[in-house]
Amino acid sequence: MSDPIPAAARAANLRLWNAWTRVHEKSAFYDVEGFKAGATSLWALQLEELGPLVHEGTTLFHLQCHCGMDTLSWARLGADVVGLDLSDEAIGLARRLADEVGLSRRAEFVCADLYDADVHLDGRLFDIVLVGWGNIEWLPDLERWAGIVARHLAPGGTFYTDGIHPFAHGLDEVPGEHDVRVKYRLLPAPEQPDVEPVEGSSADSGADTTGPGSYGWVHSFSEILGALTGAGLRVEHLHEFPASPAPFWDWMIRDEARLWWLPDGAGGLRRDLPLSYSIRATGPAA
Amino acid sequence: MLDEYLKANLASWDEAVGLHVGAQMYDVEGFKKGRCSLSDIELRELGPSVHEGTMLLHLQCHFGLDSLSWARRGAVVTGVDFSGAGIATARALADEVGLSARATFVQSDVLALTDVLQGLFDVVFTSWGALIWIGDLERWAEVIAHFLKPGGTFYVAEFHPYAYLLADDATPDSLRIGYPYFQYGRPQRFDEPGDYADPGARTQHNVTFEWNHGFAEILDPLLRSGLRLEFLHEFPHTIIGLPFSFLEVGVDGLQRVKGHHEDFPLSFSLKMTKEG
Repeated sequence: MSDPIPAAARAANLRLWNAWTRVHEKSAFYDVEGFKAGATSLWALQLEELGPLVHEGTTLFHLQCHCGMDTLSWARLGADVVGLDLSDEAIGLARRLADEVGLSRRAEFVCADLYDADVHLDGRLFDIVLVGWGNIEWLPDLERWAGIVARHLAPGGTFYTDGIHPFAHGLDEVPGEHDVRVKYRLLPAPEQPDVEPVEGSSADSGADTTGPGSYGWVHSFSEILGALTGAGLRVEHLHEFPASPAPFWDWMIRDEARLWWLPDGAGGLRRDLPLSYSIRATGPAA
Repeated sequence: MLDEYLKANLASWDEAVGLHVGAQMYDVEGFKKGRCSLSDIELRELGPSVHEGTMLLHLQCHFGLDSLSWARRGAVVTGVDFSGAGIATARALADEVGLSARATFVQSDVLALTDVLQGLFDVVFTSWGALIWIGDLERWAEVIAHFLKPGGTFYVAEFHPYAYLLADDATPDSLRIGYPYFQYGRPQRFDEPGDYADPGARTQHNVTFEWNHGFAEILDPLLRSGLRLEFLHEFPHTIIGLPFSFLEVGVDGLQRVKGHHEDFPLSFSLKMTKEG
């Protein structure tokens, strides 16, 4: 099957993620030095919702793993992990990090387009398939994505993802105000990627990433859940949260747990809008 | 015990029954002549599960038009509503259209239904503007699971939670947010005269308490009650019922956002199956 990502989009996103990898390695947000010193890169929610399923020897496949810090954080908790990412620089950094923190024996990193995962994984099955923060917006076709998830889940295995809430994707700044309003595009349009210039990164808004733009796709819960159920998975939970582990705008407020919130306009945190979500699903039994 | 919210909402709905029976939106005369009151959405998605003899429980049935429309398609229906006026009107309509043998109407708050109703059903159905009146979706999901046969179907078609967020003064150029997605159990209090089916009506009971529910709040209690997700669908159209000035009605009778017929969700449907 042909890659559902158009060539121009793939090239742009690859350039961008390579550029972002160089930025992220030095950014306070990613805190690579802290990670090397033993800090987990996982946010509390991931540890709370997926942590209880990760034990010594649990096999975990992390799709779109970026520079592998989350993947390796799970390895530190005992998992035998495989991370896959499009960006050769991110995978290069992931392998260096694995070596440096002494986890290369339980961490393998594959540089490949997500939609080519089957070719590289050769039928391997995992107890957990993980799709981390902010990933599916880089994918036009969630049915094929969910198929990849399902084909690499061991019988009864667990799929977990967390991400930017579809509604939050559809929010815009009100010009001149620290407030948000709704954009129209809240339902998927696979043939119409959002093509945007990129300035900086969520980890470092001042970083020089001029040149590459990004190609992204709008997704909705109906599409995400439909893809998973269509691939034979059983949805265990959908959770929604009024905060996000990464900021969308520089005027968002970070709390002590490193979560980012919209301001409520009265000096507090706005708790009425969904900014992130998580989904857990189970693969078919044998 | 009726609490404050339930009492206020009940007074409003008891009054609404009288208005709705004569309202063009409900077209009771057309219904008596055979018109189906169900929308294409639920007919397409739930219709194939409704056959001759299907036992169908309709929660928050108002005065029974949709319940009786399913009965006309073969279902043996039980309609439940907390409004005595609604239930009395539903029974009279059932008699008038000759469906009282396959339609039972029960006056009850949905959350207290296990106290007054026996039996199991093939289908539990609820729709269009029902969920905002339910303050406790945990209990609601338990009631649904309680009345479903193993392998039975729960189906809801509803206005979209994102659409419920838009401010009263939202304009097409600036879709400002006026209402919460997360309410943490606290209802919104409204005090507005008039009625959605008859905006100029001089109503007496104008205070209502309503809850917008997010997808997780709706879906998770149902999953925990032992129902399996079949699908969640989101539609850029809806039956008439949302108040925004930038909606337009198409030839299919459905509302869409002007200039945005495909990309703004106005309704959703959810189908789930009880494990069995």
